[in-house]
Amino acid sequence: MSEFQRQHPVAAVSRALDLIRGNFITILVFLFVGAQSETFPFLWWIGGGFAFLLILGVANWWRFLFKLENDLLHIKSGIFVRKNLYLTKDRIQVIDITSGIIQRMFGLVRLDIQTAGSSSRQAAIDAITRDEAIEINNILRRESQKTDSATGEISEIKQDTDEILNRFKIPHKELLIAASTSGSFGIALSIIATVFSQVEPLISESEMFEYLFNMLPSQTDTMMIISIILVFIIFAWLISFFSTLFTYGNFTLEVKEKEMVVSRGIFEKKRITVPYNRIQAIHVTEGIIRQPLGYASLHLESAGYGDDKGTGSIVMFPLIRRNKILNLLNDVLPDYQKEHEGIRPPSRSLRRYLFRSAFFITAATAALYWGMNFNLWIWIFPVLSVYWGWLKYKDAAAASGDDILVMRSRRLSKSTAYIKKNRVQDATLIQSPFQRMRNLCSIQVYVASGDHGKSFRVRDLEYDDGLKLLNDVRKNGVEFSDLLDEQIVSGKVPLPGWNL
Amino acid sequence: MQEPQFHKLTPRAIRVWQWGNLIGNLFFFAIPAAYAAVFGVDGFHYWMVVVSASIVFIFWMLSVFLTPYLTWKHWRYAIDEKEIDLKRGILFKTRTLIPLSRVQHVDTRQGPILRWYNLSSVTISTAATTHEIPALDSVLADRVRKQISTYARLAEEDV
Repeated sequence: MSEFQRQHPVAAVSRALDLIRGNFITILVFLFVGAQSETFPFLWWIGGGFAFLLILGVANWWRFLFKLENDLLHIKSGIFVRKNLYLTKDRIQVIDITSGIIQRMFGLVRLDIQTAGSSSRQAAIDAITRDEAIEINNILRRESQKTDSATGEISEIKQDTDEILNRFKIPHKELLIAASTSGSFGIALSIIATVFSQVEPLISESEMFEYLFNMLPSQTDTMMIISIILVFIIFAWLISFFSTLFTYGNFTLEVKEKEMVVSRGIFEKKRITVPYNRIQAIHVTEGIIRQPLGYASLHLESAGYGDDKGTGSIVMFPLIRRNKILNLLNDVLPDYQKEHEGIRPPSRSLRRYLFRSAFFITAATAALYWGMNFNLWIWIFPVLSVYWGWLKYKDAAAASGDDILVMRSRRLSKSTAYIKKNRVQDATLIQSPFQRMRNLCSIQVYVASGDHGKSFRVRDLEYDDGLKLLNDVRKNGVEFSDLLDEQIVSGKVPLPGWNL
Repeated sequence: MQEPQFHKLTPRAIRVWQWGNLIGNLFFFAIPAAYAAVFGVDGFHYWMVVVSASIVFIFWMLSVFLTPYLTWKHWRYAIDEKEIDLKRGILFKTRTLIPLSRVQHVDTRQGPILRWYNLSSVTISTAATTHEIPALDSVLADRVRKQISTYARLAEEDV
């Protein structure tokens, strides 16, 4: 292994597929444009695109060299711009061996190497044989620990840290619920729209539409539009159902002493290792459909590494009953203090919440109703938006424990975030002119997550409470005693409140 | 609660922003100019051009004679052993707290106008966000940069 070597040629194909996945939206746009142009046949677009990607993939494979020498993994990559990556074994944090669907067809694996830096996503070998991967893994991980410790004792202890202490799987029933309530409609709809734009000329040319008109029970235009929309929604739902099923099938969360391992996927297997000291925040999301059913999903923000898109958000558990969340969190992350006395926004900020949610929707509805003579029924949207505003007001809360901040808020889904105070990158108190008039403020906290940060915000808290929260971050959870005489002004609410 | 020692920016900052806005906001006159180029200046379009140009002019004047002063008046910063505290904003008042242990790097920057007035800006980056203290005296900016990096080094080192 001390000579430079190439990956298995299958890497070219998997690279091409990665490119397709990475530029999915761009490709969709191109397909739309391609469908519009008459001179350039649609099939040429697709064929040419695939050929181009395949050439790129092959070139990438040809120019990708790696060698392992003296506990140093040296990777050369890049078609024109050569990139040299040196990974020394003491900087390597985690090595993940996974296998996607293409790798598995050829009995290969993919090797992901995480270092402390954020360039970690670059360090991946797409396709090598399992034996080679294990050899690299052994040399870079185990070997180093043995050489570190002259005695056998310590290497035994090191072995123990790899042991799985606890393992959680998602039951089939909950996986099905997760799939049917997953809100990834947007992507699905765009796929359908593309397909539809291709198929549509065919339909109108044949007498498909007339046939449909005759088939459908009532032949008014409104009914037609509604039924088309319904068909779209059902298709979108089916796509999001199966994509979620395939992504989160076989979900397993393994708890080890120093790290947790999330593995998931039915065809495309994914494995993400998260060392505990890389976790910046955890947040629980209760989606608008899942919440009434009593379910939520668990996410965590990790520094430096996450999915391919560079966000550090990782799904820690795709779906769980609300009353089991605390048990799971206690098992996985016992050092997070979970139950607190939270601060709610005062009642005078309710009108701000309602106004924010309802104003634009009401204005748009009024314009549509009087300007374009829409049906009276569209007034349901302003009513819903008022309800939405009220929900947002009701769910907004914040708490500050000994070493932890809890921030709960709602956009569409309700999200409860736990942030260790010493993980806060910055905390900001914002006051708009109107908030100043009413002595309110918003609090926003940034944590590191992937390449960028992630922010959590609670709006329209009492100004004094906001200052107190900010001051709590300042204290870093150390000097707590001289804050005890400060009284919390607003109404209190139990956080997180899942056991109610 | 004990407030840290807040400092103001140097009053020369006002001049810097005035020059910056005087030159930079000239760009917005391109909007009525482009409108005139596309639609001409006859009848209704004449009034559109006049109105938009005067709005841009008022905005331009305000950005030169009013907002730099107000921005300066509301800017405060404080740096101690544990955190950086920034207060700013004319209408939207924000107050940001950056624990020093989170600071990843600090740099000072100097554009042409800043150099003319012998000022620098200090940029503070964390793993998630970037903040700037605009327009400090160059000597002071260097001292602030050193102070922050010394404190940040003292503070615990991990993400």
